[in-house]
Amino acid sequence: MPTDLESPRRHVARNPRHPSAAADRASGPRQTQKEATRNRVLEAARELFDTQGYQGTTIREIARHAGVSVGSVFTTFASKGEILSQVMEERLDRLYAELDRVVPHLRGSTADRLRSMFAIHFAFEARRTRLFLSHIAAAYDWTLPSSTKPFGRTQRLRDMISDVLAQGVADGEVDPAADLQAMVELLIAAYGWTYHLVVTDGADVKVMTATMDRQIGLIADGFRPRSS
Amino acid sequence: MKHISPNQVAGQTAVKMPTRRALAKQQTRAKVLTAARRLFSEHGYEGATIRDIAAAAGMSTGAVFANFSDKSDLFREIMSDDMSALAESMRDAAPRGRSVDDCLLKMFTAGYAFYKSQLPLARAAFSVSWAPQDGPVLRNATQVQVLLEQIVEQLTLGIERGELSQEAEIKLRSQMLFDAYLSNYPQAIFEGWSLDALQSRARDQIRILLAGARRG
Repeated sequence: MPTDLESPRRHVARNPRHPSAAADRASGPRQTQKEATRNRVLEAARELFDTQGYQGTTIREIARHAGVSVGSVFTTFASKGEILSQVMEERLDRLYAELDRVVPHLRGSTADRLRSMFAIHFAFEARRTRLFLSHIAAAYDWTLPSSTKPFGRTQRLRDMISDVLAQGVADGEVDPAADLQAMVELLIAAYGWTYHLVVTDGADVKVMTATMDRQIGLIADGFRPRSS
Repeated sequence: MKHISPNQVAGQTAVKMPTRRALAKQQTRAKVLTAARRLFSEHGYEGATIRDIAAAAGMSTGAVFANFSDKSDLFREIMSDDMSALAESMRDAAPRGRSVDDCLLKMFTAGYAFYKSQLPLARAAFSVSWAPQDGPVLRNATQVQVLLEQIVEQLTLGIERGELSQEAEIKLRSQMLFDAYLSNYPQAIFEGWSLDALQSRARDQIRILLAGARRG
């Protein structure tokens, strides 16, 4: 995986998901200023959520860290939940762009392809595991706007797993009668749970990947076609 | 200091008459806990402040702090009361099953039924469980570990009855079953899944997670 995945500034500027940012660039210094503020806030927030957690970080701290006023944070973002949501969306855009490129070339059994896919996830999040914990925690935030997509409500991960499993069915490795939806949910739950090990056991990426491998093995026992 | 939950107050007075002062203290604690339960449910863990809780209980913040060291202490107390009650209803439900799958399903369903009427509080608990400091404390709480132990117990019984193989990887499998059980709460919290829907999803999950452990 290329290391420039971690350079957020460049990405923010060309993120197609934020057309307003693109429009900003086109219309004068005031808009450029606004975009600069936005980027600084996102960068500060990424740092603070990763070190202090989601609940432990206040908007005031984010503003101070970014060197902007609290007021200007609020002209760009409606809430802390929205800030985190944007931080994660930009990160995950990069992760999924990479996965879109790589996953079609994965070889091996269905279980192994799932293992590789999740191993890429862990490798990507390696340096920001606590940020990912924030991402999960935010899913339960009372103030989260309904437009945001916290962990568990992102469709892309779900689609990607479904595709691998569907390929498995086509290859005769996955029981066509298996409840694929339940498999997807179990895999996502296992993936999320594995991040706990960072906090409880101080697990590194190697440990997390190994744990996920075992969990996938166990779930794979449940989708293997019945030997006739 | 021993924490006394409002549920236990009645039982304890019967055994040993507490002093008037101890009784007053228990009543204060009970009032704080009731108010806290409501505010955590309405505003979440982060949104509820000690000041608001004190106001809702009709007392000063000083009086709250005389009984609880901080907000997380207060929340832990509520959680541990609920978890104990939850563990009990799961323990009652499990033996009614006819197989490992069924015992686990009955346990999980008892859990969903228990929380169905207080999903906002469950939501607050999930939020806390992912926080860097309070999360591990909550997850490692004895009452939570007891729930996990009950799953281990069911799998062990399954092996004894010959339903599951000796190499059932009980530890990992129990953890995954517990996690699967928990993973359905967001559907209940955010998408209003019925008890039946939760039960049916849990049934599928249990079947998948036990598939590799079955004998023969």
